[in-house]
Amino acid sequence: MSAAAIPSCQIIEAHAPTLISNILTLAWRELRDALRARSFLLYSLAFLALGLGVSYVSAAGTGSLGLSGFGRTTAGLINIVLLVVPLMALTTGASAIASDRERGMLLFLLAQPVSRLEVVLGKFLGLSGALIACITLGLGACSLVLAWQGGATEPRTMLWLAGLSVLLALSMLSVGMLISALARKASVAVGTGVFLWLALVFVTDLGLMAGTLALRLPVKTLFLLTLSNPLQAFKMWALHSIDASIDVLGPAGLYAMDTYHDALPWMFGASMAAWIVLPLVAAALIFRTRSPV
Amino acid sequence: MNANRSNLAPRVAILAVSCLVGLCPTTASAQDSMQAPNEKSAGVHDSAGVEINAGTIGRLIKAAKPGDIVHVPAGVYREHIRIDKPLSLIAEGRVVIDGMSSGDIVEIAAPNVTLRGFVVRDTGIDLDKENAAIRVLADHTVIENNTLEDILFGIDLKQAPDAVVRGNFIGGKDLDIARRGDGLRLWRSDRVLIENNTIHDGRDAILWYSQNVTVRNNTSRRCRYGFHLMYSDDVVMENNELTHNSVGIYLMYSKVVTIRGNRLLANRGPSGYGIGLKEADQFSISDNLIAGNRAGIYLDGSPFTKLKPGDISRNTIACNDVGLTFLPSVKGNVIAANNFVDNIEQVCVSGRGELTGNDFAADERGNFWTDYAGYDANADGIGDFAHESVTLFENLLDREPKLRILLFSPAQQAIEFVGRAIPAIRPEPKFFDPSPLTRPVPVATNAGAAPSRLSLAICGLGLASIASLVYVSSRAFAHTTRRKGVVA
Repeated sequence: MSAAAIPSCQIIEAHAPTLISNILTLAWRELRDALRARSFLLYSLAFLALGLGVSYVSAAGTGSLGLSGFGRTTAGLINIVLLVVPLMALTTGASAIASDRERGMLLFLLAQPVSRLEVVLGKFLGLSGALIACITLGLGACSLVLAWQGGATEPRTMLWLAGLSVLLALSMLSVGMLISALARKASVAVGTGVFLWLALVFVTDLGLMAGTLALRLPVKTLFLLTLSNPLQAFKMWALHSIDASIDVLGPAGLYAMDTYHDALPWMFGASMAAWIVLPLVAAALIFRTRSPV
Repeated sequence: MNANRSNLAPRVAILAVSCLVGLCPTTASAQDSMQAPNEKSAGVHDSAGVEINAGTIGRLIKAAKPGDIVHVPAGVYREHIRIDKPLSLIAEGRVVIDGMSSGDIVEIAAPNVTLRGFVVRDTGIDLDKENAAIRVLADHTVIENNTLEDILFGIDLKQAPDAVVRGNFIGGKDLDIARRGDGLRLWRSDRVLIENNTIHDGRDAILWYSQNVTVRNNTSRRCRYGFHLMYSDDVVMENNELTHNSVGIYLMYSKVVTIRGNRLLANRGPSGYGIGLKEADQFSISDNLIAGNRAGIYLDGSPFTKLKPGDISRNTIACNDVGLTFLPSVKGNVIAANNFVDNIEQVCVSGRGELTGNDFAADERGNFWTDYAGYDANADGIGDFAHESVTLFENLLDREPKLRILLFSPAQQAIEFVGRAIPAIRPEPKFFDPSPLTRPVPVATNAGAAPSRLSLAICGLGLASIASLVYVSSRAFAHTTRRKGVVA
């Protein structure tokens, strides 16, 4: 890995910038800084602790009775991922550009022979690496605990969960960077990130509940609205990956299974891909026009 | 899930197919692999117009005297047979009776017949005529160790009491559920023993008006109803394994039924129940493993009378979407010494209501609940606080099932928290277990082999190694940049 890093440094020194190598250099820097940050350590520890707690408790419950393969442990982990990963990714992304701008670092950075697009992509890539490390560490440790407790979960399921969690993290990172490109101060950016986290995790769901009860939303509308939330798309995809069905989600889940059949994973994927790509593109476009201070 | 109503198009298709088949009976019997000369004089035809007892086995039956043991040599016999005298028909080696996609295949019209070891395959697909592999119209039949493949109805006992159906393997045709037939059907057939059979991809295994039937050690998978009792009393069902059906066991209008030691797993779909009870009475459901179903036990108007409380005890009800589903008017059940393990919703009152008419404890011993939050200071195995189910989100779910789409999301916990924190909106408890158990009732569950621990551990190490790889590479980069003196 160090071998890969060396040439890119040299290229910066030699003032012969190419897109990929500049992005990589910026990404390495971002990754290093992120892994050093105290907030990131706290997120990792929280994720690890909650995940291990859920794994331990559920393995002690269903595992002790010899019941396995019903995905109950995974459901508990999905819940933890939904809570922690978006918060981590949103705040990380939100501070990515705004804090550099506040510290004057952005001015220094843009004085180097790098383009603004390279800065955005480099930061995105580096922070993705940090988030991937955090998620794989947490879920890897959970797998080990589950294996030690009696193996009540399929390895395949854990791999799916890890992969989908990474996608969720990328989408929230992307949204966070959009906030960061817009905000002038780091504190405002992070505050907005936390607010958005609240909105995506709690407020939209509560709104859907109220809407369903008050307006008698038909199942189709309910399903499509739910699908448009990247957190819910992640959740449904993760459940679908366990036993190729989301009928556990009641009438709306059954409706989706009956109506969309095999297209369902693609729909989940499309929703999440849109949430990764669109905010990142918007962030890059906005960052191009903003002043570095 | 109204599978009885097929629409017009398939019916027309079936009719057309059966007419076509009916048009060429002679061609069919000419294909007899044993190359037997046809007996043109034989006048008996089945409902599809196919000549009966025209082939080799048919002639063996005609030649036999009542009480004979007829051994049929190995081979493929394309014919339809009717056993009209007491006989034992025994397959020697692999004997295939092929129905050539038409009509019924074997009809047993005399008492005391034994049919053993045959492969019976390819019935017609006429639902109106109920094309069956083996139809029994007389008493004291033994149907043993046969393999039924590609059949519409499997074994159809019509007023055939005192039969034994044992060790058969019954596989349905690959048809849409609405066009399938019943793998096993009893019609007014009392004192039948059904054991060690395997039924898959059929519609139902159904008992109509049949009393004193014993059903044990059978396996059913991917059917509509694993076993379905209609107006059938004094039935014992034990040690059956019913998986991936729409419903494992459905009791309707039946009484004095014992359901014991069965394994009911992953019975799902819109009306997926492990055990469903509709106006059943004097039933006992005990020592079953009920896991991974949409609803573990569904109770509608059961028990129907006050003669005996419904007994639901020592079951392990685990990992179902809903453990117990009650319609609001259900009362008179005693639910004690069960393990309620990690059901998404442990108990549901469909359309809201309270379960005040049901007891969740017997002899001061309740059930084991994984969501019980109390403690047991004197360590007598019984929690010091009653277990009440007061969950706001579940109440919302019971009122509006569509909200299940938001299951597992953190908003669910938020709602529950608010429900606990603010007494004004705290719902009434759905039910009340005065003496919850703090340890699970010991039962032999063993819900299949657990996935390998080693592969899960390797998977965990693999994931963790990705993390360490990222970390190490970032350190390596930091090191490089320091040495090179790059500030970036």
